[in-house]
Amino acid sequence: MPTANPFRLDPELVRFMTGGLSINTGSGSAEGLPSQCRAFGVRVDPTGRVTVFLAGAQAADLLRDAARSRALAVVFSDPPTHRTIQLKGRDARVEPLRPGDLAEVRAYREAFTRRLVPLGFTAPLVLALLDCPDDDLMALTFTPEAAFDQTPGAHAGAPLLPGALDGAPPDPAGP
Amino acid sequence: MIPTRALRDCLDGAIPGVVSTWSADGTPNVAYMSQGQYVDRQHLALSYQFFNRTRQNILANPRVTLGLIHPQTAQQYRVHLTYQRTETEGPLFESMKAKLAGIASHTGMSGVFRLLGADLYRIDRVEAVPGTTLPLPAPAVDPLSALRACMERLPLSHDTESLLDALLDGLVEHFDIRHTLVMMLDPARERLYTVASRGYETSGVGSELQVGEGVIGVAARERVPIRISHMTSEYAYGLAMREGAQRQGLGGLVDTEIPFPGLAAPGSQLAVPIPGPREPLGVLFVESPTDMRFSHAEEDALVALAAQVGALFRLFLAELELGEEAVAPAEGEPGPSGPPMRVRHYAANDSVFLGDDYLIKGVAGNILWTLLQDHQASGRTQFSNRELRADPRVRLPDQSDNLEARLVLLHRRLAERQACVQLEKTGRGRFRLRVDCPLEMEDMAPGSV
Repeated sequence: MPTANPFRLDPELVRFMTGGLSINTGSGSAEGLPSQCRAFGVRVDPTGRVTVFLAGAQAADLLRDAARSRALAVVFSDPPTHRTIQLKGRDARVEPLRPGDLAEVRAYREAFTRRLVPLGFTAPLVLALLDCPDDDLMALTFTPEAAFDQTPGAHAGAPLLPGALDGAPPDPAGP
Repeated sequence: MIPTRALRDCLDGAIPGVVSTWSADGTPNVAYMSQGQYVDRQHLALSYQFFNRTRQNILANPRVTLGLIHPQTAQQYRVHLTYQRTETEGPLFESMKAKLAGIASHTGMSGVFRLLGADLYRIDRVEAVPGTTLPLPAPAVDPLSALRACMERLPLSHDTESLLDALLDGLVEHFDIRHTLVMMLDPARERLYTVASRGYETSGVGSELQVGEGVIGVAARERVPIRISHMTSEYAYGLAMREGAQRQGLGGLVDTEIPFPGLAAPGSQLAVPIPGPREPLGVLFVESPTDMRFSHAEEDALVALAAQVGALFRLFLAELELGEEAVAPAEGEPGPSGPPMRVRHYAANDSVFLGDDYLIKGVAGNILWTLLQDHQASGRTQFSNRELRADPRVRLPDQSDNLEARLVLLHRRLAERQACVQLEKTGRGRFRLRVDCPLEMEDMAPGSV
C-alpha cells in the first residue's frame, strides 16, 4: 500500500527514537480486537522507513493483524523523562533481517538496560524482558505517516511537528 | 484461569502498562497506562486523566489490550478487556485518586496527573506472553501465615483496650509493620480520634482528623482501603493539620489539639476501615518510610484483621449489654492527699484541663467531668459502662456510640499524663476512678476564657 504523505523524521527525532527507549507496537484484528507487542530495538533507514524488531513467538497476533490491516502504531518512551512519541503507518510488512540487525538488537538491549538500571530495575530483569532467540527475531517495517507527542501533559496526543521535540535528546544508544 | 496474584503484582509494580486500542476507522493506538487497579476477578480499572485518543477509541470500540510486566519475574501478560463504564465518585474512584496522587508525586507529574474518572473494564481473557522469566523471590513476610498468627491472638483479648494492643503488637511481631495506629470514628462529629499507636515518638492518643482528610479520612468516608506506594503531600498530614488546629483553637485560649503522630516523611501508607454495622467503627492505619512497602496481599491481610477487630468490638459491646461482672468490694482505698489540683471544664467543647495542661475534650472530656462531679459530691469511685451510657450528663451522640473506645482514649490520656486522676478496670464493663490528690473543680461557662 503506497503511503501518500510520509512523515519526515528529522535527525533529532531519529536520535531520540534510537536512544534505547521502551518500544511497543500495536495493531488490530478484523473483529476490532487490538493487538500489541514489545519491540527489541529499531532501525531507521535514510529513506525514513522505520523497522522494529520483534520476537516471533510473542508477536503472532500483532504480525497477523499487521499483515491483514497493514496498520501499525509504534510508541517510543524514555522511562527516566517520560518523553513519549507515537508513530503511525499504514504500510506495515515483515521483511527479512538485514546484516547488522542482530548487532542492532544487542546494542538496544544494552542501551535500554543502561537507561533502566538507574531507575531501580535490575539488569537481569531488563535482560529477561528483552530476551529472545536470534532465530526468532522478526523485522516489521513501515513508513510513518503521522507522529504524535505523547509525553504526559497538556500537549499529549498533539501531532508532532518536525523539529518540535522539546529539550535535549537522550544520550546516543552507544556502539 | 485469571492469574489474580500476578495481575495485582503487575498493577502494583513500577512498570507502566501499555494500552492498545483500535479506532472505528481501523487505526491502532498505543499509550502508556498511568495507573491500573485490580477490582475483582472479573474487573480492573484504569485511570482516565485526559480526553485522549485512547478515550476516543474506547468510546467507539470498547475492546482494549493491556500489556503488563511482572515487576519481579519479567513475565509479560496481555489482558484483553472490554470497557464497561466510568466512575467519577465513590470508593473505586477515591482509592485510585489517592494512589494516582502518589504516583504523580513520585514521577514528578504532580499537577499533570489528575483523575477525571476510574474506567472500569471487564477482563475477558489473560494471556501469558512467551518469553524468558526470572523465579519469583519469596517474600520476607508471608502475609497469610502472619495473618493467621495475628488472628489467633485477637480473640484472647477480653476488652477493647487489650484488643487494640494485641492488634498493633501483632502487626509489629508478625508483619514487621512498625508504624501503626487505630483511629475510632465519632460519626456525629464526623471526626476520627486516635486510641492506640505504635512506633511514634508520642502516642498521639486523642489526636483527631476530619472524615475525608488524608488517606485515613478518605478510607473512613468511602469505606474502602486506601494504599499509597509513593507518598504525596496531597494526602500528607502535616501543615493541614496545624492549620486545622489554629482554626479550631479556643479563641486564643490554650491549644487543645494533640498532634497527630504520623511519620514526617512516609513512603507508603495503608488505611483500612474497621467495619461496623453502618459506618466503619474506625480505621487501622499503617505506614513506612519505604516506598512500595505494602503489597496487595498485605492489604488483604489487614482487611481480614480489621474485619475480625470490628466483630470483636461489637461482641464486647453486646457482652456489656448482657450484664456486668460483679464488682470486687472496694478495698481500703487511700484517699486524696497532697496539694490540690485545679480541674477546669470548658462547656464550649467539653475540654478538660488538669492544672494548666489540656487533657481531653468532647465526649471523653464530658465523661471525665461527670465522673469527677460524682466523686466530689459523694466520694464515689466505682462506675459501670452501662450506667455511664444511660447518664444524660454524658450526652452520648447516640446509643450505639462506641463508649468503650472513648473510655480507652480517656484511660490512655490519663495514664500518659501520669495524672493524679486515673481510671482502673475492675471487671467487664466496670472501672474505678482513682483520685490521688484533692481537686478544685471549676466549670467554665461557654464563652469564658
